[in-house]
Amino acid sequence: MRRSLPATIVVLIGLLLLVNFVVINPLVAGVAQGVLELVVVLAAGAAVLGGATLLVHHGGQLARTGGDRLGSGVLLAGMAAMLLAGFYPGSAGSADPAVRWLVAALLAPLIAALFAMLFVFLLAAMQRGMALRSRQMVVMLLAAAAAVILLLPLGGTLGAWLAGTSAWALAVPVGAVFRGLLIGVAIVAATYAARVLLAVGSADD
Amino acid sequence: MPDLGSLLGGLVAFIGEQVGASSLRLGPIATVTLLTVMLVILSLVARPSTRWTVRDLGRLASVGRAMALAAESGGVAAFSLGTAGVARATSSLDRLQTLAGIGVLSVVARAAARSGVPLRVTSNDAVAAGMARAVLDDAHRRTETLERRSRSSAEYLGEGRATAAATALARGGSPAASFAAGGLAEEGLLLLYGASRGAASSSFGTAAPSQASSVLLTGEGTMIGPELFQATSDIRGRADRTGVLAANRLLLVALAVIALGSLLAWVAGVDVTTVLAGA
Repeated sequence: MRRSLPATIVVLIGLLLLVNFVVINPLVAGVAQGVLELVVVLAAGAAVLGGATLLVHHGGQLARTGGDRLGSGVLLAGMAAMLLAGFYPGSAGSADPAVRWLVAALLAPLIAALFAMLFVFLLAAMQRGMALRSRQMVVMLLAAAAAVILLLPLGGTLGAWLAGTSAWALAVPVGAVFRGLLIGVAIVAATYAARVLLAVGSADD
Repeated sequence: MPDLGSLLGGLVAFIGEQVGASSLRLGPIATVTLLTVMLVILSLVARPSTRWTVRDLGRLASVGRAMALAAESGGVAAFSLGTAGVARATSSLDRLQTLAGIGVLSVVARAAARSGVPLRVTSNDAVAAGMARAVLDDAHRRTETLERRSRSSAEYLGEGRATAAATALARGGSPAASFAAGGLAEEGLLLLYGASRGAASSSFGTAAPSQASSVLLTGEGTMIGPELFQATSDIRGRADRTGVLAANRLLLVALAVIALGSLLAWVAGVDVTTVLAGA
């Protein structure tokens, strides 16, 4: 089987990490640790590169006519503000009060506002989902309707029965589906991870 | 210095000695029976083409048609690699989902390159965006359409899950075909809703169980849970497919054992755990 150089490197590193996982050996552990440290360096370099590409992309967008120039301008202004707050002479970096204020007063509320819209978009998505008319969608909407009924805030005998049934539904059928999904994902992901580590059967190779 | 004949002779003698010094633990008949049973089970489990029917997970089989329609309408295709990334601070399972998404992307990118449809890939991880760029390059190289490469792009959106979701919601224009494959979290519905808005066809997948409902609500083609990894294997090499199909059958066997054991315990009061696990 013909393999490219990157695939060979992937196989060698994959085997090294697997051996390190199975065998206790100081030399192998040292080499594996070195490889993992290289990954950290790669991630750090990628973050800087990502920032640079973001700058170039939106800088170019700003220079061109058409496109989302306002969005690009806001993004670049935000980047500039955060960089200034983190890098001005005497700044404490990410722990600087100015950076913390930007995060707490601007970024966190923006993210919170975005997630607050989840309910609205859930309703819109349900409307669109009903238009798709798939079987899975129908089953899911029926289950959702049942869950809403079970969670109705009622008192008395009916309320107690609904609460009991709701707890049972959460623990048994819903729990079973989640466990089943997790078991399935774990098995297939383990197979997939082994294939990635050993570069097995890569059609793109 | 021994010649080649002496070396081979020594090797054969060594093997003979080892065979002579060994004995069958179970006896000849029991050993042959055991091996035969194992071979039968293996052939049942791992034979892919005759006993298995591969489903069209995520409607990926119709990617070519979706791209043809996109080409006719002059639209673009969009692909999101989820929000887990490869080098971000997430769990290994989430990162694996991004790699599975890269596999799906390679198929979509080739179909887009063949049809001349610009493909816009987005990710909130710089490394994943870099990998996507390589996939786009490869797709155009393989389809000999390098002159169209500049029309497709892989864009790094910036750090954060909320960033990806907000960009998907705020971006103007509707893609003719929309795809998303990778790890998602609480922002999943926002991202997928934004990605599917106005799209003529959509195919979304994630292995995150908590986001299964988001995928179902927004996508025409869906890959939920293990299906994301299965879909990648279905569309890739044969060995991958065999492995995943074998895992499927093993899963079914495991589920059958659990169901049967539960039934026995419930109806007949038999403690299967003691028999199977010796607990």
